[in-house]
Amino acid sequence: MSEAAAASGGITPVLAFEKLTKEFKLGLRLTRVQAVRSVDLQVHQGEIFGFLGPNGAGKTTSMKMAMGLIRPTSGRALLFGESVERPAIRRRIGYLPEQPYFYDYLTGAEILDFYGQLYGMPKKARQQRVDALLTLVGLDHARDRTLRRFSKGMLQRIGIAQAILNDPDLVVLDEPMSGLDPMGRKEVRDIILQLKQQGKTVFFSSHILHDIETICDRVAIIVRGRVERMGSLGDLLTANSGSVEVVGTDASAELLARLQTDGLGAEVAGHGHRWVVEEARLETLLRALMDGGARITHVEPMRESLEDLFVREAGAHHAD
Amino acid sequence: MQTDALHLGRVMAVARNTFREAVRNRAFLGLLLFSVAFILSSILLSALAVVGEGARVVVDFGFFAVGLFSAATAIVMGALLVYKELERKTIYTIVSKPIHRYEFILGKYLGLMAILCAQVIALSVIWVLVILMRDGDVSLEHAKGMALVLMEVGVVAAAAMMFSAASNPMLTGLFTLGVFIVGRLVYLIENMLQAPKGLFVDNTFARAFGETVVAVFPDLSVFDVSQQVLLGVAVAPGYLLHAFSYAFAYALIFMVVALFAFERRDFT
Repeated sequence: MSEAAAASGGITPVLAFEKLTKEFKLGLRLTRVQAVRSVDLQVHQGEIFGFLGPNGAGKTTSMKMAMGLIRPTSGRALLFGESVERPAIRRRIGYLPEQPYFYDYLTGAEILDFYGQLYGMPKKARQQRVDALLTLVGLDHARDRTLRRFSKGMLQRIGIAQAILNDPDLVVLDEPMSGLDPMGRKEVRDIILQLKQQGKTVFFSSHILHDIETICDRVAIIVRGRVERMGSLGDLLTANSGSVEVVGTDASAELLARLQTDGLGAEVAGHGHRWVVEEARLETLLRALMDGGARITHVEPMRESLEDLFVREAGAHHAD
Repeated sequence: MQTDALHLGRVMAVARNTFREAVRNRAFLGLLLFSVAFILSSILLSALAVVGEGARVVVDFGFFAVGLFSAATAIVMGALLVYKELERKTIYTIVSKPIHRYEFILGKYLGLMAILCAQVIALSVIWVLVILMRDGDVSLEHAKGMALVLMEVGVVAAAAMMFSAASNPMLTGLFTLGVFIVGRLVYLIENMLQAPKGLFVDNTFARAFGETVVAVFPDLSVFDVSQQVLLGVAVAPGYLLHAFSYAFAYALIFMVVALFAFERRDFT
Protein backbone atom coordinates (compact mmCIF):
# COMPACT_ATOMS: atom_id res chain seq x y z
CA MET A 1 0.00 0.00 0.00
CA SER A 2 1.36 3.43 -0.90
CA GLU A 3 1.87 6.10 1.75
CA ALA A 4 -1.03 8.00 0.24
CA ALA A 5 -3.39 5.04 0.51
CA ALA A 6 -2.26 4.39 4.08
CA ALA A 7 -2.86 8.04 4.95
CA SER A 8 -6.37 7.93 3.56
CA GLY A 9 -7.42 4.89 5.56
CA GLY A 10 -6.71 2.27 2.93
CA ILE A 11 -8.74 3.89 0.16
CA THR A 12 -6.47 4.60 -2.78
CA PRO A 13 -6.65 8.28 -3.71
CA VAL A 14 -7.42 9.07 -7.34
CA LEU A 15 -4.39 11.36 -7.41
CA ALA A 16 -1.62 11.53 -4.87
CA PHE A 17 1.59 13.55 -4.60
CA GLU A 18 4.09 12.04 -2.18
CA LYS A 19 6.89 14.43 -1.23
CA LEU A 20 6.79 15.60 -4.84
CA THR A 21 9.78 17.79 -5.62
CA LYS A 22 11.09 19.35 -8.81
CA GLU A 23 14.33 21.20 -9.16
CA PHE A 24 15.36 22.96 -12.36
CA LYS A 25 18.86 24.01 -13.29
CA LEU A 26 18.69 27.40 -14.92
CA GLY A 27 21.11 29.60 -16.82
CA LEU A 28 24.71 29.05 -17.78
CA ARG A 29 25.73 28.59 -14.16
CA LEU A 30 23.04 25.93 -13.74
CA THR A 31 21.59 27.67 -10.72
CA ARG A 32 19.25 25.31 -8.90
CA VAL A 33 15.68 26.48 -8.50
CA GLN A 34 13.11 24.43 -6.61
CA ALA A 35 9.80 24.86 -8.43
CA VAL A 36 7.93 22.32 -6.31
CA ARG A 37 9.01 21.49 -2.76
CA SER A 38 8.01 18.24 -1.10
CA VAL A 39 4.32 18.51 -1.89
CA ASP A 40 1.99 15.97 -0.25
CA LEU A 41 -1.54 16.01 -1.53
CA GLN A 42 -4.40 13.60 -2.12
CA VAL A 43 -7.43 13.96 -4.31
CA HIS A 44 -10.29 11.57 -3.58
CA GLN A 45 -12.91 9.92 -5.73
CA GLY A 46 -15.73 12.20 -6.80
CA GLU A 47 -14.43 15.49 -5.48
CA ILE A 48 -13.65 18.76 -7.21
CA PHE A 49 -10.25 19.80 -5.95
CA GLY A 50 -8.97 23.30 -6.53
CA PHE A 51 -5.27 24.01 -6.81
CA LEU A 52 -4.80 27.67 -6.04
CA GLY A 53 -1.70 29.78 -6.16
CA PRO A 54 -0.17 32.90 -7.62
CA ASN A 55 1.68 32.80 -10.94
CA GLY A 56 4.93 30.85 -10.70
CA ALA A 57 3.86 29.04 -7.51
CA GLY A 58 4.41 25.57 -9.02
CA LYS A 59 0.85 24.63 -10.02
CA THR A 60 1.58 23.81 -13.65
CA THR A 61 4.85 22.01 -12.85
CA SER A 62 3.04 19.83 -10.28
CA MET A 63 0.30 19.03 -12.77
CA LYS A 64 2.82 18.19 -15.48
CA MET A 65 4.52 15.78 -13.09
CA ALA A 66 1.13 14.17 -12.46
CA MET A 67 0.69 13.78 -16.23
CA GLY A 68 4.18 12.35 -16.83
CA LEU A 69 5.36 15.35 -18.85
CA ILE A 70 8.02 16.26 -16.30
CA ARG A 71 9.88 13.78 -14.13
CA PRO A 72 10.13 14.62 -10.41
CA THR A 73 13.57 15.24 -8.92
CA SER A 74 12.36 13.27 -5.89
CA GLY A 75 9.07 12.00 -4.55
CA ARG A 76 6.35 10.71 -6.83
CA ALA A 77 2.95 11.33 -8.36
CA LEU A 78 0.49 8.44 -8.34
CA LEU A 79 -2.69 8.04 -10.35
CA PHE A 80 -5.09 5.50 -8.88
CA GLY A 81 -2.14 4.23 -6.83
CA GLU A 82 0.00 3.57 -9.89
CA SER A 83 2.87 5.33 -11.59
CA VAL A 84 1.93 7.76 -14.35
CA GLU A 85 4.78 6.26 -16.37
CA ARG A 86 2.42 3.43 -17.31
CA PRO A 87 0.52 4.47 -20.45
CA ALA A 88 -2.39 2.17 -19.55
CA ILE A 89 -3.13 4.23 -16.43
CA ARG A 90 -3.44 7.31 -18.64
CA ARG A 91 -6.56 5.76 -20.21
CA ARG A 92 -8.37 6.79 -17.06
CA ILE A 93 -7.35 10.45 -17.10
CA GLY A 94 -8.04 13.51 -19.20
CA TYR A 95 -5.77 16.55 -19.23
CA LEU A 96 -6.17 20.12 -20.39
CA PRO A 97 -2.85 22.01 -20.37
CA GLU A 98 -2.61 25.71 -19.62
CA GLN A 99 -3.16 27.76 -22.80
CA PRO A 100 -3.46 24.62 -24.91
CA TYR A 101 -2.06 24.41 -28.42
CA PHE A 102 -3.29 22.00 -31.05
CA TYR A 103 -2.42 21.04 -34.60
CA ASP A 104 -3.85 24.07 -36.35
CA TYR A 105 -3.97 22.40 -39.76
CA LEU A 106 -6.64 19.97 -38.53
CA THR A 107 -10.35 20.68 -38.26
CA GLY A 108 -12.31 20.47 -35.01
CA ALA A 109 -13.58 16.99 -35.86
CA GLU A 110 -10.20 15.77 -37.16
CA ILE A 111 -8.26 16.72 -34.03
CA LEU A 112 -10.69 14.90 -31.75
CA ASP A 113 -10.65 11.90 -34.08
CA PHE A 114 -6.84 11.87 -33.91
CA TYR A 115 -6.88 11.87 -30.10
CA GLY A 116 -9.47 9.10 -30.22
CA GLN A 117 -7.02 7.02 -32.24
CA LEU A 118 -4.40 7.47 -29.52
CA TYR A 119 -6.90 5.95 -27.08
CA GLY A 120 -7.32 3.03 -29.48
CA MET A 121 -11.04 3.76 -29.91
CA PRO A 122 -12.70 1.94 -32.85
CA LYS A 123 -13.66 4.15 -35.79
CA LYS A 124 -17.44 4.06 -35.28
CA ALA A 125 -17.22 4.73 -31.54
CA ARG A 126 -14.80 7.55 -32.28
CA GLN A 127 -17.16 9.22 -34.73
CA GLN A 128 -20.08 9.03 -32.31
CA ARG A 129 -17.99 10.38 -29.44
CA VAL A 130 -16.58 13.23 -31.55
CA ASP A 131 -20.10 14.28 -32.63
CA ALA A 132 -21.39 14.18 -29.04
CA LEU A 133 -18.43 16.17 -27.71
CA LEU A 134 -18.63 18.86 -30.39
CA THR A 135 -22.27 19.33 -29.41
CA LEU A 136 -21.44 19.36 -25.68
CA VAL A 137 -18.82 22.10 -26.04
CA GLY A 138 -20.90 24.05 -28.56
CA LEU A 139 -18.61 23.60 -31.56
CA ASP A 140 -20.98 21.78 -33.88
CA HIS A 141 -20.82 24.65 -36.33
CA ALA A 142 -17.02 24.55 -36.45
CA ARG A 143 -16.46 20.82 -36.93
CA ASP A 144 -15.03 21.29 -40.45
CA ARG A 145 -13.16 24.52 -39.74
CA THR A 146 -9.38 24.32 -39.31
CA LEU A 147 -8.14 25.19 -35.82
CA ARG A 148 -6.04 28.09 -37.10
CA ARG A 149 -9.36 29.87 -37.64
CA PHE A 150 -10.57 29.18 -34.10
CA SER A 151 -10.81 31.91 -31.46
CA LYS A 152 -9.07 31.46 -28.11
CA GLY A 153 -12.34 30.51 -26.45
CA MET A 154 -13.06 27.92 -29.15
CA LEU A 155 -9.60 26.40 -28.69
CA GLN A 156 -10.25 26.16 -24.96
CA ARG A 157 -13.50 24.29 -25.72
CA ILE A 158 -11.65 21.87 -28.01
CA GLY A 159 -9.16 21.46 -25.15
CA ILE A 160 -11.94 20.49 -22.77
CA ALA A 161 -13.48 18.16 -25.35
CA GLN A 162 -10.19 16.29 -25.80
CA ALA A 163 -9.76 16.10 -22.02
CA ILE A 164 -13.03 14.21 -21.60
CA LEU A 165 -12.92 12.30 -24.90
CA ASN A 166 -12.12 8.98 -23.21
CA ASP A 167 -14.79 9.38 -20.50
CA PRO A 168 -12.01 9.62 -17.88
CA ASP A 169 -12.35 8.95 -14.15
CA LEU A 170 -10.02 11.86 -13.36
CA VAL A 171 -9.95 15.14 -15.24
CA VAL A 172 -6.97 17.43 -14.70
CA LEU A 173 -7.52 20.98 -15.92
CA ASP A 174 -4.77 23.59 -15.80
CA GLU A 175 -6.35 27.07 -15.68
CA PRO A 176 -9.44 25.95 -17.62
CA MET A 177 -11.20 29.30 -17.32
CA SER A 178 -8.22 31.43 -18.25
CA GLY A 179 -8.85 33.69 -21.23
CA LEU A 180 -12.58 32.99 -21.35
CA ASP A 181 -15.32 35.58 -21.18
CA PRO A 182 -17.85 35.37 -18.29
CA MET A 183 -20.20 33.24 -20.40
CA GLY A 184 -17.40 30.86 -21.35
CA ARG A 185 -16.32 30.63 -17.69
CA LYS A 186 -19.83 29.71 -16.66
CA GLU A 187 -19.99 27.02 -19.34
CA VAL A 188 -16.72 25.50 -18.14
CA ARG A 189 -17.98 25.62 -14.55
CA ASP A 190 -21.14 23.83 -15.63
CA ILE A 191 -19.13 21.14 -17.42
CA ILE A 192 -17.00 20.61 -14.27
CA LEU A 193 -20.14 20.29 -12.13
CA GLN A 194 -21.63 17.88 -14.68
CA LEU A 195 -18.49 15.76 -14.44
CA LYS A 196 -18.86 15.64 -10.67
CA GLN A 197 -22.49 14.57 -11.03
CA GLN A 198 -21.29 11.71 -13.22
CA GLY A 199 -19.01 10.59 -10.37
CA LYS A 200 -15.80 11.89 -11.94
CA THR A 201 -12.99 13.48 -10.02
CA VAL A 202 -11.79 16.91 -11.12
CA PHE A 203 -8.44 18.45 -10.19
CA PHE A 204 -8.09 21.94 -11.52
CA SER A 205 -5.87 24.93 -11.02
CA SER A 206 -6.87 28.54 -11.15
CA HIS A 207 -5.86 31.94 -9.97
CA ILE A 208 -9.46 33.11 -10.40
CA LEU A 209 -10.59 32.78 -6.81
CA HIS A 210 -14.27 33.04 -7.56
CA ASP A 211 -14.18 29.92 -9.75
CA ILE A 212 -12.56 27.87 -7.03
CA GLU A 213 -14.76 29.25 -4.28
CA THR A 214 -17.99 28.44 -6.08
CA ILE A 215 -17.37 24.85 -7.18
CA CYS A 216 -14.56 23.21 -5.22
CA ASP A 217 -15.03 20.69 -2.43
CA ARG A 218 -11.45 21.02 -1.29
CA VAL A 219 -8.65 23.42 -1.98
CA ALA A 220 -4.88 23.46 -1.69
CA ILE A 221 -3.04 26.76 -1.69
CA ILE A 222 0.44 26.53 -3.13
CA VAL A 223 2.94 29.33 -2.65
CA ARG A 224 6.54 29.19 -3.86
CA GLY A 225 6.35 25.48 -4.52
CA ARG A 226 4.97 24.55 -1.12
CA VAL A 227 1.41 23.65 -0.17
CA GLU A 228 0.64 26.11 2.61
CA ARG A 229 -2.99 25.27 3.31
CA MET A 230 -5.23 22.39 2.34
CA GLY A 231 -8.71 21.37 3.32
CA SER A 232 -12.39 21.86 2.67
CA LEU A 233 -13.44 25.42 1.96
CA GLY A 234 -15.54 25.39 5.13
CA ASP A 235 -12.53 24.43 7.27
CA LEU A 236 -10.22 26.93 5.66
CA LEU A 237 -12.59 29.85 5.59
CA THR A 238 -14.11 29.70 9.09
CA ALA A 239 -10.79 29.74 10.83
CA ASN A 240 -11.07 33.46 11.51
CA SER A 241 -14.77 33.62 12.34
CA GLY A 242 -16.10 35.00 15.62
CA SER A 243 -16.85 38.41 14.18
CA VAL A 244 -20.19 39.66 12.91
CA GLU A 245 -20.90 42.25 10.25
CA VAL A 246 -23.76 44.69 10.87
CA VAL A 247 -25.04 47.22 8.38
CA GLY A 248 -27.56 49.92 9.31
CA THR A 249 -29.04 53.19 8.08
CA ASP A 250 -30.55 56.30 9.64
CA ALA A 251 -28.08 56.36 12.55
CA SER A 252 -27.84 59.89 13.95
CA ALA A 253 -24.51 61.64 14.37
CA GLU A 254 -25.04 61.62 18.11
CA LEU A 255 -25.59 57.85 18.14
CA LEU A 256 -22.52 57.27 15.99
CA ALA A 257 -20.42 59.41 18.32
CA ARG A 258 -21.65 57.52 21.40
CA LEU A 259 -20.90 54.16 19.78
CA GLN A 260 -17.48 55.43 18.78
CA THR A 261 -16.79 56.27 22.42
CA ASP A 262 -17.83 52.74 23.41
CA GLY A 263 -15.34 51.27 20.96
CA LEU A 264 -18.00 50.46 18.32
CA GLY A 265 -16.79 52.79 15.58
CA ALA A 266 -18.49 52.47 12.17
CA GLU A 267 -17.33 52.95 8.63
CA VAL A 268 -19.44 54.46 5.89
CA ALA A 269 -20.96 51.81 3.61
CA GLY A 270 -23.19 53.02 0.77
CA HIS A 271 -26.09 55.02 2.21
CA GLY A 272 -25.51 53.68 5.71
CA HIS A 273 -22.83 52.48 8.08
CA ARG A 274 -21.03 49.20 8.66
CA TRP A 275 -19.75 47.69 11.90
CA VAL A 276 -17.61 44.60 12.42
CA VAL A 277 -17.92 43.46 16.03
CA GLU A 278 -17.03 40.45 18.10
CA GLU A 279 -19.96 38.14 18.80
CA ALA A 280 -19.83 39.03 22.50
CA ARG A 281 -20.60 42.70 21.76
CA LEU A 282 -23.23 42.10 19.07
CA GLU A 283 -26.17 42.41 21.42
CA THR A 284 -24.90 45.72 22.84
CA LEU A 285 -24.54 47.17 19.35
CA LEU A 286 -27.92 45.97 18.09
CA ARG A 287 -29.71 47.27 21.20
CA ALA A 288 -27.98 50.66 20.90
CA LEU A 289 -28.93 50.93 17.24
CA MET A 290 -32.58 50.02 17.81
CA ASP A 291 -32.88 52.31 20.85
CA GLY A 292 -31.23 55.12 18.89
CA GLY A 293 -33.80 54.84 16.08
CA ALA A 294 -31.48 53.40 13.42
CA ARG A 295 -32.61 50.77 10.88
CA ILE A 296 -30.66 47.50 10.83
CA THR A 297 -30.46 46.13 7.28
CA HIS A 298 -27.90 43.37 7.50
CA VAL A 299 -26.44 41.09 10.20
CA GLU A 300 -24.12 38.27 9.13
CA PRO A 301 -21.35 36.29 10.77
CA MET A 302 -18.04 37.28 9.13
CA ARG A 303 -16.58 34.57 6.90
CA GLU A 304 -13.11 35.02 5.61
CA SER A 305 -13.26 34.93 1.82
CA LEU A 306 -10.93 32.73 -0.14
CA GLU A 307 -9.39 35.90 -1.42
CA ASP A 308 -8.59 37.05 2.12
CA LEU A 309 -7.01 33.70 2.88
CA PHE A 310 -5.11 33.63 -0.39
CA VAL A 311 -3.77 37.15 0.03
CA ARG A 312 -2.77 36.36 3.60
CA GLU A 313 -0.90 33.16 2.63
CA ALA A 314 0.77 34.64 -0.44
CA GLY A 315 1.45 37.91 1.38
CA ALA A 316 3.11 36.18 4.34
CA HIS A 317 5.65 34.65 1.99
CA HIS A 318 6.09 37.82 0.04
CA ALA A 319 7.12 39.51 3.27
CA ASP A 320 9.74 36.78 4.00
CA MET B 1 -7.00 -5.97 -19.77
CA GLN B 2 -5.02 -2.81 -20.22
CA THR B 3 -1.53 -3.50 -21.48
CA ASP B 4 1.52 -1.33 -21.87
CA ALA B 5 2.84 -3.11 -24.96
CA LEU B 6 3.78 -1.35 -28.18
CA HIS B 7 0.58 -0.50 -30.05
CA LEU B 8 0.91 -0.16 -33.81
CA GLY B 9 -2.43 1.67 -34.06
CA ARG B 10 -1.05 4.57 -32.01
CA VAL B 11 2.21 4.63 -33.98
CA MET B 12 0.26 4.73 -37.25
CA ALA B 13 -2.06 7.46 -35.95
CA VAL B 14 0.97 9.68 -35.29
CA ALA B 15 2.51 8.70 -38.65
CA ARG B 16 -0.70 9.48 -40.59
CA ASN B 17 -1.01 12.81 -38.85
CA THR B 18 2.63 13.70 -39.62
CA PHE B 19 2.01 12.92 -43.28
CA ARG B 20 -1.19 14.97 -43.27
CA GLU B 21 0.69 17.93 -41.81
CA ALA B 22 3.18 17.87 -44.69
CA VAL B 23 0.46 17.57 -47.34
CA ARG B 24 -1.28 20.63 -45.87
CA ASN B 25 1.98 22.56 -45.52
CA ARG B 26 2.47 25.12 -48.26
CA ALA B 27 6.25 25.26 -47.69
CA PHE B 28 6.55 21.54 -48.37
CA LEU B 29 4.36 21.72 -51.44
CA GLY B 30 6.45 24.67 -52.61
CA LEU B 31 9.66 22.64 -52.23
CA LEU B 32 8.04 19.77 -54.12
CA LEU B 33 7.04 22.06 -56.99
CA PHE B 34 10.51 23.58 -57.07
CA SER B 35 12.14 20.15 -57.28
CA VAL B 36 9.74 19.16 -60.08
CA ALA B 37 10.73 22.34 -61.95
CA PHE B 38 14.38 21.51 -61.32
CA ILE B 39 14.01 18.06 -62.87
CA LEU B 40 12.07 19.49 -65.81
CA SER B 41 14.93 21.92 -66.35
CA SER B 42 17.10 18.93 -67.25
CA ILE B 43 15.25 18.99 -70.62
CA LEU B 44 17.08 22.25 -71.39
CA LEU B 45 20.36 20.90 -70.07
CA SER B 46 20.10 17.75 -72.15
CA ALA B 47 19.56 19.88 -75.26
CA LEU B 48 23.09 21.20 -74.78
CA ALA B 49 24.55 17.69 -74.57
CA VAL B 50 26.35 15.90 -77.40
CA VAL B 51 23.90 14.32 -79.82
CA GLY B 52 22.68 11.00 -78.43
CA GLU B 53 23.79 11.81 -74.88
CA GLY B 54 20.65 13.82 -73.97
CA ALA B 55 18.86 10.97 -72.21
CA ARG B 56 22.03 10.10 -70.25
CA VAL B 57 22.24 13.65 -68.94
CA VAL B 58 18.61 13.46 -67.83
CA VAL B 59 19.21 10.16 -66.01
CA ASP B 60 22.31 11.47 -64.23
CA PHE B 61 20.68 14.78 -63.38
CA GLY B 62 17.57 13.01 -62.09
CA PHE B 63 19.52 10.88 -59.61
CA PHE B 64 21.31 14.00 -58.40
CA ALA B 65 18.14 16.09 -58.07
CA VAL B 66 15.90 13.46 -56.44
CA GLY B 67 18.67 12.53 -53.96
CA LEU B 68 19.43 16.16 -53.12
CA PHE B 69 15.84 17.39 -52.70
CA SER B 70 14.74 14.35 -50.76
CA ALA B 71 17.73 14.69 -48.44
CA ALA B 72 16.87 18.38 -48.01
CA THR B 73 13.31 17.41 -47.03
CA ALA B 74 14.64 14.77 -44.61
CA ILE B 75 17.00 17.29 -42.97
CA VAL B 76 14.58 20.23 -42.74
CA MET B 77 11.50 18.26 -41.77
CA GLY B 78 13.45 15.95 -39.47
CA ALA B 79 14.88 19.00 -37.69
CA LEU B 80 11.48 20.63 -37.27
CA LEU B 81 9.10 17.72 -36.63
CA VAL B 82 9.88 17.15 -32.96
CA TYR B 83 10.92 20.75 -32.30
CA LYS B 84 7.56 22.11 -33.44
CA GLU B 85 5.74 19.72 -31.11
CA LEU B 86 7.75 21.09 -28.19
CA GLU B 87 7.74 24.72 -29.25
CA ARG B 88 4.01 24.81 -29.96
CA LYS B 89 3.33 22.67 -26.89
CA THR B 90 1.18 20.24 -28.89
CA ILE B 91 3.23 17.49 -27.24
CA TYR B 92 1.39 18.05 -23.91
CA THR B 93 -1.90 16.64 -25.14
CA ILE B 94 -0.14 13.73 -26.88
CA VAL B 95 2.26 12.43 -24.23
CA SER B 96 -0.47 12.64 -21.57
CA LYS B 97 -2.54 10.18 -23.63
CA PRO B 98 -1.93 6.42 -23.29
CA ILE B 99 1.01 6.42 -25.69
CA HIS B 100 4.64 5.51 -25.08
CA ARG B 101 7.11 8.22 -25.94
CA TYR B 102 8.93 5.76 -28.20
CA GLU B 103 5.67 5.12 -30.08
CA PHE B 104 5.39 8.84 -30.70
CA ILE B 105 8.96 9.16 -32.05
CA LEU B 106 8.54 6.01 -34.12
CA GLY B 107 5.27 7.39 -35.54
CA LYS B 108 6.97 10.68 -36.39
CA TYR B 109 9.76 8.82 -38.20
CA LEU B 110 7.36 6.61 -40.14
CA GLY B 111 5.31 9.68 -41.08
CA LEU B 112 8.47 11.38 -42.34
CA MET B 113 9.36 8.24 -44.30
CA ALA B 114 5.89 8.25 -45.87
CA ILE B 115 6.46 11.87 -46.92
CA LEU B 116 9.88 11.02 -48.37
CA CYS B 117 8.46 7.99 -50.12
CA ALA B 118 5.71 10.09 -51.73
CA GLN B 119 8.29 12.70 -52.73
CA VAL B 120 10.70 10.19 -54.29
CA ILE B 121 7.84 8.50 -56.17
CA ALA B 122 6.40 11.82 -57.43
CA LEU B 123 9.81 13.08 -58.58
CA SER B 124 10.66 9.70 -60.13
CA VAL B 125 7.49 9.80 -62.21
CA ILE B 126 8.46 13.24 -63.57
CA TRP B 127 11.99 12.02 -64.13
CA VAL B 128 10.82 8.95 -66.09
CA LEU B 129 8.54 11.13 -68.23
CA VAL B 130 11.46 13.42 -69.05
CA ILE B 131 13.68 10.42 -69.94
CA LEU B 132 10.96 9.11 -72.26
CA MET B 133 10.59 12.56 -73.82
CA ARG B 134 14.31 12.51 -74.60
CA ASP B 135 13.90 9.06 -76.22
CA GLY B 136 15.77 7.30 -73.42
CA ASP B 137 15.13 3.78 -72.15
CA VAL B 138 13.53 3.16 -68.79
CA SER B 139 14.01 -0.17 -67.07
CA LEU B 140 13.56 -1.78 -63.65
CA GLU B 141 17.12 -0.63 -62.86
CA HIS B 142 15.89 2.97 -62.68
CA ALA B 143 13.33 1.94 -60.08
CA LYS B 144 16.00 0.07 -58.12
CA GLY B 145 18.18 3.18 -58.23
CA MET B 146 15.37 5.28 -56.77
CA ALA B 147 14.66 2.64 -54.10
CA LEU B 148 18.29 3.06 -53.04
CA VAL B 149 17.85 6.85 -52.93
CA LEU B 150 14.92 6.28 -50.58
CA MET B 151 17.09 4.07 -48.35
CA GLU B 152 19.73 6.80 -48.21
CA VAL B 153 17.24 9.48 -47.12
CA GLY B 154 15.84 6.99 -44.60
CA VAL B 155 19.24 6.99 -42.90
CA VAL B 156 19.47 10.80 -43.11
CA ALA B 157 15.95 11.18 -41.65
CA ALA B 158 16.81 8.87 -38.73
CA ALA B 159 19.94 10.96 -38.05
CA ALA B 160 17.75 14.08 -38.01
CA MET B 161 15.36 12.43 -35.55
CA MET B 162 18.30 11.51 -33.31
CA PHE B 163 19.69 15.04 -33.19
CA SER B 164 16.29 16.69 -32.89
CA ALA B 165 15.35 14.56 -29.87
CA ALA B 166 18.19 16.18 -27.95
CA SER B 167 18.95 19.58 -29.51
CA ASN B 168 17.46 22.55 -31.35
CA PRO B 169 16.57 22.74 -35.07
CA MET B 170 19.65 24.79 -36.00
CA LEU B 171 22.07 22.27 -34.52
CA THR B 172 19.98 19.36 -35.79
CA GLY B 173 20.07 20.81 -39.31
CA LEU B 174 23.84 21.35 -39.16
CA PHE B 175 24.64 17.95 -37.67
CA THR B 176 22.37 16.10 -40.08
CA LEU B 177 23.79 17.99 -43.03
CA GLY B 178 27.20 16.96 -41.70
CA VAL B 179 26.15 13.30 -41.64
CA PHE B 180 24.84 13.63 -45.22
CA ILE B 181 27.95 15.33 -46.62
CA VAL B 182 30.50 13.23 -44.72
CA GLY B 183 28.44 10.11 -45.49
CA ARG B 184 28.74 10.81 -49.19
CA LEU B 185 32.51 11.32 -48.84
CA VAL B 186 33.27 8.32 -46.62
CA TYR B 187 34.25 6.18 -49.62
CA LEU B 188 36.87 8.78 -50.59
CA ILE B 189 38.40 8.71 -47.11
CA GLU B 190 38.33 4.92 -47.21
CA ASN B 191 40.20 4.97 -50.52
CA MET B 192 42.77 7.39 -49.10
CA LEU B 193 43.29 5.17 -46.07
CA GLN B 194 44.01 2.23 -48.39
CA ALA B 195 46.32 4.22 -50.66
CA PRO B 196 50.08 3.43 -50.44
CA LYS B 197 50.91 7.08 -49.65
CA GLY B 198 49.18 10.27 -48.55
CA LEU B 199 48.06 12.27 -45.53
CA PHE B 200 45.87 9.50 -44.08
CA VAL B 201 48.78 7.05 -44.27
CA ASP B 202 51.73 9.20 -43.21
CA ASN B 203 50.15 11.14 -40.32
CA THR B 204 49.09 9.02 -37.32
CA PHE B 205 46.55 11.56 -36.09
CA ALA B 206 44.99 11.98 -39.54
CA ARG B 207 44.85 8.22 -39.93
CA ALA B 208 43.09 7.76 -36.56
CA PHE B 209 40.68 10.54 -37.49
CA GLY B 210 39.97 9.00 -40.90
CA GLU B 211 39.44 5.55 -39.42
CA THR B 212 37.03 6.95 -36.83
CA VAL B 213 35.03 8.77 -39.50
CA VAL B 214 34.83 5.63 -41.61
CA ALA B 215 33.80 3.56 -38.57
CA VAL B 216 31.14 5.99 -37.29
CA PHE B 217 29.55 7.59 -40.34
CA PRO B 218 27.33 5.68 -42.74
CA ASP B 219 28.84 5.23 -46.19
CA LEU B 220 26.10 6.78 -48.29
CA SER B 221 27.86 5.94 -51.57
CA VAL B 222 26.45 2.44 -51.02
CA PHE B 223 23.11 3.88 -52.18
CA ASP B 224 24.44 5.52 -55.34
CA VAL B 225 24.09 3.26 -58.37
CA SER B 226 23.60 6.06 -60.90
CA GLN B 227 26.72 5.15 -62.91
CA GLN B 228 25.70 1.50 -62.99
CA VAL B 229 22.25 2.41 -64.30
CA LEU B 230 23.79 4.77 -66.87
CA LEU B 231 26.05 1.99 -68.11
CA GLY B 232 23.11 -0.42 -68.24
CA VAL B 233 24.60 -2.78 -65.65
CA ALA B 234 21.92 -4.60 -63.63
CA VAL B 235 21.72 -3.97 -59.88
CA ALA B 236 21.74 -7.43 -58.30
CA PRO B 237 18.90 -8.27 -55.85
CA GLY B 238 21.59 -9.35 -53.37
CA TYR B 239 23.09 -5.86 -53.51
CA LEU B 240 19.68 -4.30 -52.85
CA LEU B 241 19.24 -6.55 -49.84
CA HIS B 242 22.72 -5.67 -48.58
CA ALA B 243 22.04 -1.94 -48.99
CA PHE B 244 18.67 -2.28 -47.25
CA SER B 245 20.24 -4.12 -44.29
CA TYR B 246 22.95 -1.46 -44.10
CA ALA B 247 20.38 1.38 -44.12
CA PHE B 248 18.16 -0.44 -41.63
CA ALA B 249 21.06 -1.02 -39.22
CA TYR B 250 22.10 2.65 -39.25
CA ALA B 251 18.52 3.92 -39.01
CA LEU B 252 17.93 1.54 -36.09
CA ILE B 253 21.01 2.79 -34.21
CA PHE B 254 20.05 6.44 -34.78
CA MET B 255 16.44 5.80 -33.74
CA VAL B 256 17.43 3.92 -30.57
CA VAL B 257 19.56 6.91 -29.52
CA ALA B 258 16.63 9.23 -30.42
CA LEU B 259 14.23 7.17 -28.31
CA PHE B 260 16.53 7.23 -25.28
CA ALA B 261 17.10 10.99 -25.60
CA PHE B 262 13.37 11.66 -25.96
CA GLU B 263 12.49 9.35 -23.08
CA ARG B 264 14.61 11.45 -20.71
CA ARG B 265 13.25 14.85 -21.72
CA ASP B 266 11.15 17.08 -19.49
CA PHE B 267 8.39 18.95 -21.32
CA THR B 268 8.50 22.19 -19.39
